[in-house]
Formats: sequence, structure tokens, C-alpha cells
Amino acid sequence: MSTEAPPNAPGAGARHDDALLELDNVSRVYGEEIEVYALREVSLQIFPGDFMSIVGPSGSGKSTMLGLLGVLDLPTSGTIRIAGHDVSALDDATRSRLRGDSIGFVFQQFHLIPHLTALGNVETALLYRDLRPRERRERAYAALAELGLGSRADHRPVQMSGGEQQRVALARAIVTDPLMILADEPTGALDSANAAHVLEIFRGLESPERAVVMVTHDTTVASTARRKVSMRDGRIVADERLAGTPE
Amino acid sequence: MSRFRDLLMVAWTGLTARKVRTFLIMLGPIVGVAAMVGAVGLTESAKGDLKQKLSQLGTNLIIAQAGGTFGSQNPTFPSDAVQRVEAIPTVTSAAGTTNLSSVIAIPTEGGSDYYQAFPVPVRASDLNLPAVLEVPLLDGRWLSSADNALHTPSVVLGAGLARQYGYLRGEARTIRLNTTNFGVVGVLGPVALDPDLDNAVFITQWSAQHIFATDGKPNQLYVRAKPGTTQAAADAIPTAINLGGPDQVTTKVPSDVLQAASQADKTLQQTALFAGLLALSVGGLGIANVMSISVIQRSSEIGIRRAVGHSRSKIGAQFLLESLFVGILGGMLGAALGVGIVYLVSALANWVVVIDYTRIPLWMSLALVVSVMAGLYPSAKAARLEPLETLRLG
Repeated sequence: MSTEAPPNAPGAGARHDDALLELDNVSRVYGEEIEVYALREVSLQIFPGDFMSIVGPSGSGKSTMLGLLGVLDLPTSGTIRIAGHDVSALDDATRSRLRGDSIGFVFQQFHLIPHLTALGNVETALLYRDLRPRERRERAYAALAELGLGSRADHRPVQMSGGEQQRVALARAIVTDPLMILADEPTGALDSANAAHVLEIFRGLESPERAVVMVTHDTTVASTARRKVSMRDGRIVADERLAGTPE
Repeated sequence: MSRFRDLLMVAWTGLTARKVRTFLIMLGPIVGVAAMVGAVGLTESAKGDLKQKLSQLGTNLIIAQAGGTFGSQNPTFPSDAVQRVEAIPTVTSAAGTTNLSSVIAIPTEGGSDYYQAFPVPVRASDLNLPAVLEVPLLDGRWLSSADNALHTPSVVLGAGLARQYGYLRGEARTIRLNTTNFGVVGVLGPVALDPDLDNAVFITQWSAQHIFATDGKPNQLYVRAKPGTTQAAADAIPTAINLGGPDQVTTKVPSDVLQAASQADKTLQQTALFAGLLALSVGGLGIANVMSISVIQRSSEIGIRRAVGHSRSKIGAQFLLESLFVGILGGMLGAALGVGIVYLVSALANWVVVIDYTRIPLWMSLALVVSVMAGLYPSAKAARLEPLETLRLG
């Protein structure tokens, strides 16, 4: 990666076509009689290779932003494009497909399906993709093994520690080889040792083809990133590039 | 196709992960189908012995009796009545018997007075009577053409009479008919459709005509009709015999009485069937209820699945398939349980098990339909669930 002209510099409007995900003048309003703007005319581009954090205090619109970036929600106005597709124009099946193919989620509460094993949880992301069961299982196992959980494949979430559960969730996020990893307070429910380990994994996920986006209010997590988007009252107040990854 | 397989797998895992709850949901279709199978099975099995007897005897035997001719004390048919009846196209075979009211059978000298006071019916019979009745011999042989040709004084006893006489198998026994001694050559099996015959003594037509000086005319015919034509044959018999003449012929189909007796109690059956239907529909409400709660409990799972790219329709299909499985399995288990109950109760009550297996698939599909319908609302609810609300982000 070149150092003098970072390809993923914020505000690179000229690189419009290259954006993985693009928010164009997006607002999200809740309520009908009393309208509450959770997000107000926000524009943001996320590029391949971005390793960014979205920070802000409670109520700043982070969660709304996360829902929109993850295509779990649609904007009230404005346009969101993933790899050029306007997500509002897609039907649910196509949008779901796009979400499954493009985005890997990691949640604060891990959100593993309790009755499935670690392997089964990772496999969930590979369902309905015309894979043979054997191939699906092998890919899921490979993702678990990559995160050092090969021996835990048959364990259910309750049999695992928080750190392990979050690694299973990470394996589920990367098993589809998505364009973007979208993490919501990924270390929020972990002790510091596990948090450090998970952050290290996130750093390892950085690649020129992929964007990693972490929504957080944790400054340690935020300072891990190379790009930091700050939010307040439903707007982006800062979009800065950090000098480098701290050790 | 592999997507459908994935869907089946997901639905199946969802059910097996919560075995107790799945079983509780299944209780609805199980109880419903079991109740319906049991209701019909038990009411039918209660009459199972009669049904079994009926199916062995057949429903195509007709008995024709000579009615009163003018001025005749003992009405008889014309001597060629059997041939006339056999000429009817729907008749397969016929045999005649003649009641010899003047002949008294004395099995033992000691019992002479008794048997004169309470005479045993003596019948001259055609040689094919057991074949027409489809009744086997308990012992020995039936009257044969050799008896007619050689003029042997042979008798065959009815099953009841043989028991009453204390006749032993293969025993050389002589009984006296009026003044002539006859040798017992065999015992006819019980004739369920005409129990009168169980108590009779049978001799050949030759013996009747030459020893007891009868005219050889039968007064009772046993007729087998082709299956399904019994009533038509019975209607044709009087005309065939009397050819429009004054001879009166009464016909009866003895199995009719048995058939009426073997009918299950329809009111009871329908009441029980209705109770089963009620159980099934209440079970359906139970499925809808429990699955709706289940959708709320599993909202996090639904959110996760939506996040990893499962569409609304996949989520809906997943839950609908779960209720489909509940219907299929519940129906199968219910049918098995119902059949088990029928066998158990029949064994305890000494009934002959009668189960109409052709109706069970109908009830099972009814359980399936109820389950799927019950699953519609929860499935739609699951599909509509907003992932953002269930995942508790931020």
C-alpha cells in the first residue's frame, strides 16, 4: 500500500465509482407524528481496504448508521449503494442476498444461535448458497480453524467463553468472504485480555479488497483503526485518517 | 433443490433442538389422529367377530322355502326346482333338502321316549349341500353318489347334534330312523347362516324315497348367487321355480341379519370422531399459540439469520416447514398410537381387531393441513420481524 497517496483517504469524491458502500445524503427518520431524525443528510463512502471506526456518544446515530450500512434498515431519504446497487430499489430476497454476500456482521452480544454448535453457527452464513453440505461444513470448519477454534467446532455457545463466542461470530462473518466486515462494539462484552485478542484478529482481517468497519464508543478500539468517522446528533462531524496503527 | 434441502435441514434442527416443546406442540395432532383412529377402530372392532364371520360366510347365500300350496300340509317345490334355479344366470349353485317330518331319529334305545317326544329334524339332502353352504365336514365324509347307487343307509349328523349325541371322531355309530338302522358316516361343520342345520340328521334322497316313501320333492333350497347379485337372484328365484304358477316361494338372505348386527354403532362412532376432530382443531390452536411464542423467543435467531442473508421468505418457510414436520410426525405418531390403542383394547376385551387402514391417510393429512394452517400466522410473523429490532445494536 502506498504511503504518500492513501487510496482509502476520506472524502475522496473522485473515487466515487470505487466505493464499496456509499451513503448519499441519507436521512433516517423515526416516528410518524413526531419525527425524530436519527440520521440527518449523511454522506459517506467506504472503500476497499478501509479499516475504519465510527465513533460517537450515545444517541449520536451510530446504531442507525450500523443498521443502514448493514442493509438491515432502509433510509427515509437519500440513497445507499452497495457495489453500485441502490439497496432501496431491491426486493427483499435480492437485498438479503446482497447483504449475505457483501457484509459480515460481528455483534457486541455475539448473537450466536444457541441450539447450534460453533460449526452450525458458522454454517448458517453459508446456507441457501447451493453448496453441498460437505463443502459447506469444510468451509465453516476452515474459518473456525483459522481463528484457532478447530477443536471447539462441536461445542455449543453456552460451552464457550465470551472470547471464544466472539471468535465464532467472527468466523461466521468471514466465512462468506464478504466485501465488508461490520462490527458493533466487538469488544464491548469482553474482558480486556479477550478484547485485545479480538482486536488483533480484526487487524489481521485488514486487506486491500475488504473494508472493516467498527462502530464503537471505545477509544481503544477506535484508535486501532486507520480511519475514524465521528458522529454527533445524527451527523458526521469528523472523518479523519489516523497516522498509523498503534502497537 | 439444494436450497430446499438447506431449508429442510434448518427446520428440522429447529425442531429437534427443543424436543420437549416440539413434543408438546405435536400432542395436538397426535391426540387428534389417535382419537379418530381409535374411535372408528374400537367401534368397528367391538363388532369385529361378527364382521369376521360375515366375511368368512359371504353375503351371497339365499335360502328359498316352499310356501303353502292350496290344500297342502307340507308344501314342496317341483322336483326339478334345483335345475330351474340353477338356470338363473346370477346363480352359481343350488342344493335342495326335504324335511321328513314323519321320520323320527333315535340315537340310543335308552333315549327313545325322549326323542319321540322331541324329534330331531331329518332331512333328505342333495349331495352338493356342503359345497353350496361352503361348510366343511368336521369328521368323516358327506353323503356320496355311492350311497345313492349302493343304497347304503348312511347318515350325516349336524355339528350340534353330534355334540349332543356325544359322537366321537371316527366312531362307528348306528342310529335308528323309524325302524331302519343307519350308520353315521360324518359330521357336518356348524352352519352359521342356517343354524337349524346344526341340529339335523341328513340322509340321501334315495333313502328318503325308498325307505320312507317320499316323493323326492325338495321344500328348501340353498342357493349361492354371484357376488353382488344376491338380491337380484333372490328376486328371480320365485319366478324361476313356480313359473307364474300358484306355488309360493319365500326367499331370505340369512346374512342380512348378521350384516345388520355387525354394523358398528354409527352414532357412537361419529361422536367419537367428532371429539377427535375437536382435539385436532384445539391442537391446531395450540400449535399456533406455542409457535407464536416461539417466534418471539427466537427473535434473536431470526435477526441473526436475516443478518447473514436469509430473506424474509426463507424465514417464513423455515417456520412453516417446522409446523409441516409437526403435522407429519404428529399424524404418524397419532395413527400409530390409535392403532396401538385399538389392538390393546381389543386384546383386553377379546375383540377381533378391525382397522380400516384406507381412512388413516385421510386423517393424517387432516392433521397436516391443520398444523400447516396453524403455522401460517407464526410464520408470517417471523418473516415480518425487523432484524434491527431483534439484534439490539449499539
